[in-house]
Amino acid sequence: MGRYILRRSLLGVATLLLVMFVLHLLTTFAIQINGNPALAFFGERVPTAAQLAAVETRFGLDDPCYDQTGNPCLGPFVERLGAYAQGDFGTNLRGREVTDIVATAAPNTLKLFLVVTIVWFLLGMGLGTVAARWRGRSADHGIRLTSVLIDAFPIFVLLLVYRYVFAVPLNAWATETFGADSLPALWFRPSFDDDHSWATLLVPGILLGLAGSAAFIRLVRASQLESYAGDHVRTARSRGLHERHVVLHHVMRNSAVPVVTAVGLTFTEALAGAVITEGMMNIYGMGGVLWEAVRGTDVALVLGVVTILAAVTVAVMLVVDIAYAALDPRIRYA
Amino acid sequence: MPEPTAATATPDAPGTGVSASLGGDAWRRLRRRPDVIVSALVVVFFTVMAAFPTLFTSTDPQRCIIGDSKTRPQGLGATHPLGTDVHGCDMLAQLVHGARPSLLLAFVVVGASVVIGVVLGLLAGYYLGWVDTVVSRTIEVFLVIPLLLAALLLLSLFRNVSVGSGAFDVILLPALVLTLFGWMGYSRYVRASTLEAKNLDYVTAARALGASDLRIMVRHVLPNAIGPVTALVPTAIAGVISAEAVLAFLGIGVRPPAISWGIMITNGAEWVTGGYPYLLLIPLGCLILTVLALVVLGDALRDALDPRLR
Amino acid sequence: MRGMTGMEIDISGAFDPAGPDDDAQGQVPTERTAGATLLEVDDLAVEFRSDDGAVRAVDGLSYRVEAGRTLALVGESGCGKSVSSLAVMGLLPPTARVVRGSARYRGTDLLALSPAKHRAHAGTHVAMVFQDALAALNPVHTVGYQLTEALRARSGLSRREARRRAIELLDLVKVPNAAGRVDEYPHQFSGGMRQRVMIASALALDPDVLIADEPTTALDVTVQAQVLRLLAEIQAERQMGLVLITHDLGVVAGVADDVTVMYAGRAVEHAPVRDLYAAPAHPYTRALLRSVPRLDAGADGDRLPVVPGRPPVPGRVPSGCPFHPRCDMARDVCRTDVPPLADAAPERSSACFFAAELLGGARA
Repeated sequence: MGRYILRRSLLGVATLLLVMFVLHLLTTFAIQINGNPALAFFGERVPTAAQLAAVETRFGLDDPCYDQTGNPCLGPFVERLGAYAQGDFGTNLRGREVTDIVATAAPNTLKLFLVVTIVWFLLGMGLGTVAARWRGRSADHGIRLTSVLIDAFPIFVLLLVYRYVFAVPLNAWATETFGADSLPALWFRPSFDDDHSWATLLVPGILLGLAGSAAFIRLVRASQLESYAGDHVRTARSRGLHERHVVLHHVMRNSAVPVVTAVGLTFTEALAGAVITEGMMNIYGMGGVLWEAVRGTDVALVLGVVTILAAVTVAVMLVVDIAYAALDPRIRYA
Repeated sequence: MPEPTAATATPDAPGTGVSASLGGDAWRRLRRRPDVIVSALVVVFFTVMAAFPTLFTSTDPQRCIIGDSKTRPQGLGATHPLGTDVHGCDMLAQLVHGARPSLLLAFVVVGASVVIGVVLGLLAGYYLGWVDTVVSRTIEVFLVIPLLLAALLLLSLFRNVSVGSGAFDVILLPALVLTLFGWMGYSRYVRASTLEAKNLDYVTAARALGASDLRIMVRHVLPNAIGPVTALVPTAIAGVISAEAVLAFLGIGVRPPAISWGIMITNGAEWVTGGYPYLLLIPLGCLILTVLALVVLGDALRDALDPRLR
Repeated sequence: MRGMTGMEIDISGAFDPAGPDDDAQGQVPTERTAGATLLEVDDLAVEFRSDDGAVRAVDGLSYRVEAGRTLALVGESGCGKSVSSLAVMGLLPPTARVVRGSARYRGTDLLALSPAKHRAHAGTHVAMVFQDALAALNPVHTVGYQLTEALRARSGLSRREARRRAIELLDLVKVPNAAGRVDEYPHQFSGGMRQRVMIASALALDPDVLIADEPTTALDVTVQAQVLRLLAEIQAERQMGLVLITHDLGVVAGVADDVTVMYAGRAVEHAPVRDLYAAPAHPYTRALLRSVPRLDAGADGDRLPVVPGRPPVPGRVPSGCPFHPRCDMARDVCRTDVPPLADAAPERSSACFFAAELLGGARA
C-alpha cells in the first residue's frame, strides 16, 4: 500500500509538471502570435513606452523569446517553476499576490463544493440506488427521465434563468413575507454576500449539484445493476441474509469502486461548473476571481489561478487513486 | 441456468457480425421510439436553419433600425414576427442566422475531437509500448485542465487577435481551443475497446493470415470501438452548444458583430427584469430545445448500444 | 483499512435486527437421524418469461433428500437442474417464477412462504455451494468476513468470536494456515482453496442440507477429487443431506447414494447409484454412461462415444418424449406420447416406455 501511494504521488508530480509545461507553452505561443503582449494589460488605454516596458518587466515578459514565434521560452519557464516552488504565483494587475487572493477566495469555493457534494451524494446515491433496485418499474423510468431532463439544462442555463427570471421576484416575495434580513430573503438574493456566505451560496450550490447529478445518477445505477447481477450477491442471498443487508454490503459496497473513480473524473467538470456559478452569481471564490480576471483581461491572474486549480485537481485524482485502492483489495494487493 | 431471453437475443456469429447486428438491432430499437423521432426532427430542423438561413427569413440580421428597438413579438406574417432587440434588429433573423455559428462550432469541435481521439486511442491501444505511454500521459495531462478553464485562459489571451468575419473565421479560436481540450474522452474509450478487440480470436486469425496493421485496425478493431463513441457524440454536441453560450457571456466566444445564440442570450439577459423577457427566452428556448433533443438522442443511443443497462 | 472494515461490521450489527427473530426457532439444533427426510421437492415446475411467451425450464421435478445420504442431480447444461435448486432457495431471477409444486423442508413448504421468509428460512437450513467460487465470493470483503457474515447477522456474534469461528471453519475444510489466511481476500487463494472457502461459508450455519451446484467443474482434475472427497467426508461426519448437481456421471460414482437424471426440465430416471451404473433404465442415461471415459475400456484407441445431437432449447422441446430425436430406440409412440416417470424396478423409476426392455436386455 505504501509503495502504491508513493508511486502514484510521483506520477502525480510528473503530471503536474507536464501540465504546467503545457500551460506555459500555450500561453507563450498565444503571446507570441498575439502581437505586443503587454498591451493586453492596459485594456483600452494606450500606454507610454516606459509604462509598457515596466509592465513587461513586472510580468517577466521582457525576455526576447516572447517576440520569436515558435520559441518555447524554456528560460522563463524554469524561472517560473522556481517562483512557484517558493510559493510565488505572481501578482494581478493591481500588484496583489495571486496566493493572497486565492487564500481569501478559496474558503467560499470550498463551501460551494460542500453544498454541491451533498446534493450530488443525496441525488446520485439516492435516486441511482432506487432506480437500480426497482429496475424497469415506474420509479426507474421516472428517474431516468429526470436525469435526461437535468442533462438538458446545463448549469449556465439554470443559473441564467434563476438569476434573471426567478431570483428577483423570489427575493422580493421573501423580503416582503419574512423581512429583508430573514434567511429566505438571503437564500434568494441574486448576488453573493460575504457576511452571509452560507445562505447566499446555498441556492447556487444546489443548482450546480443538480446540474452535475445526472451523470452521477446514471453511473450509480449502472454500477449497482452490475453488482446485482454478480454471483456474489446470489451467494449472499443464499445464506438467508436480509435483503437490506445484501444491498448495503454486497451491492452498494461493491459499486462504490466505480463510483469513486468517476467522482475523480467529474471533479474537473465540477470545477468548471464552479467557475461559471461563482462568476454568474458574483461569488467571491476561486472561480469568481478567475471569471473577473477573464473579464478584465488579467492574464497573469488567470494563469496563476488555473495553475493552482490544476495542482488541486492532480491532488484530488491522487486521493481518488488511493481511495480506489482502499476500496478494492484486488488493486491494493496487485 | 437457462436464460431464454439471452439465448435468443445473442447471435452466434462472432466478430464484425456482432457489431453489425448490434448496430442493426440498435437502429430497429431506436426507430420505434417516438421521443427519438421527435428529437431527430428537432435537430434536423435547426441544422437546416443553420445551413440555409434564407429559407426561414429574408430579413438581414445586421440591418437594425434603432427606432424600432424592443418591438414586442408581432406574430407570423408581420414585419418582425418575434419582435426586435435593443438595437432594433429583427429577432427572427438574428435567431436564424445565429444558429449557424452555434451549431457549426459544435459540429466542428466534436467532429475534430472524435477524429483525433479515435486515431490516438486506436494507435495507443493497438501498438501499446511507447506510443501508448505518450498518448496515455498526454490524455492525463489534458484531463487535469478543465475544458472551460483552458478556454478561459487561451481565449482571453487571444482576445485581441483579429480574425476574419467568415463563417469559419468567427468560430476559429473557440473551435481550436475546445477541440484541443475535448478529445481525451474518445481516446480513452477507443483505447479500452481496442485493447479488448485486439485479442479476440478473429483478430488474431486475421493477423495470422497476414493482414496489415492498418487493415486490422480499420476493418476489425475500429467497428468494435466505434459503438461507445457514437453514444457520446450527441451529448458532446449539446455540451459544446452550451459552452459557446458561456464563452459568449464572457465575451470571449464568437465575437460581435457576428451573431450566435450565446450572444443573443447574453444581450437578452439584462432585459428580463426590465419587462422584455422574450429577448432572453426566445434564444434560450432554442438552445434548450436543441440541447434537450441531443441529450434524448444520446440517451437513446446509449441504451440501444448497451442493452444491459435497460 | 482495518478500521474501515470494522466500521462496516458495526453497521451490519445495527442494520439487521430482523435477522435473529426470523429464525430463532429454526436455529435450535435438530438431531439428524440417518435416513430421516429433510427436504422433499414435489412436482416442481418453473417458468421463464421471454419475448416468445413463457418457457418451462423445470417441469414436474420431484426428489427427496435424506439425512446422511447424497443425491446426485445429473444432466446436460440447460436441463433445469440448477434452476430447480435456485427455486428451492428462493433465488430465481425476476424473469422466472414457480408455477407449481412444493419444496418441503422438515414439513414446511418453503415455496408457500413470503419471498423474504422463504430466503431466510431456506438460507438457515439449506446451504448452497456455487460453481465459480471466484465470482461467487465477494472480492471486496475478507474471507473471514464472508465466512461468518450470516452467523453475525443472526446471532450478533462479537468480532473476536466471529474471527475464531472463521478460523475453525477454515480448519474444518482443511485450508492450511487458517489463522494466517482468515484476513485475506478471495483473489489471494488458489482455485481449490477458494472452493474450500466457499464450502466453509456454506457450513457456517450448520445446515441440514447442502446443495452443491457443479462444485468442481471449474477446478483442475486433481483438485476436483480432493474437493469431492472433502464434501463427502463432511457430509458423512455431520449426517447432512447432500444434493450434488453435476453434468458429469464420472463424478457421481464415488460420492452419491442416489441419482436423478434430468432431461429438458424433467426427471427421466431415478435409481440407487449402483443399480444405475449396472443397468440404466433410460436410453439417455445409457448414452451418458457410455460417454464417461473408463480406464478398463477404450485402451484400444476407440473414440469415446458422445450423446448424438444437442439438448433441446427450452421453449422448443419436441412433442412426445423430449429425448426421442436423439434416441436410438425411438419408435412411433415416443413421438406422440409423453412417457410418465413410472416404477421400473424396486427403488427405481424411469420415464421410458421401454424401461423394462432396457433392464431386461442388460440382464440378458
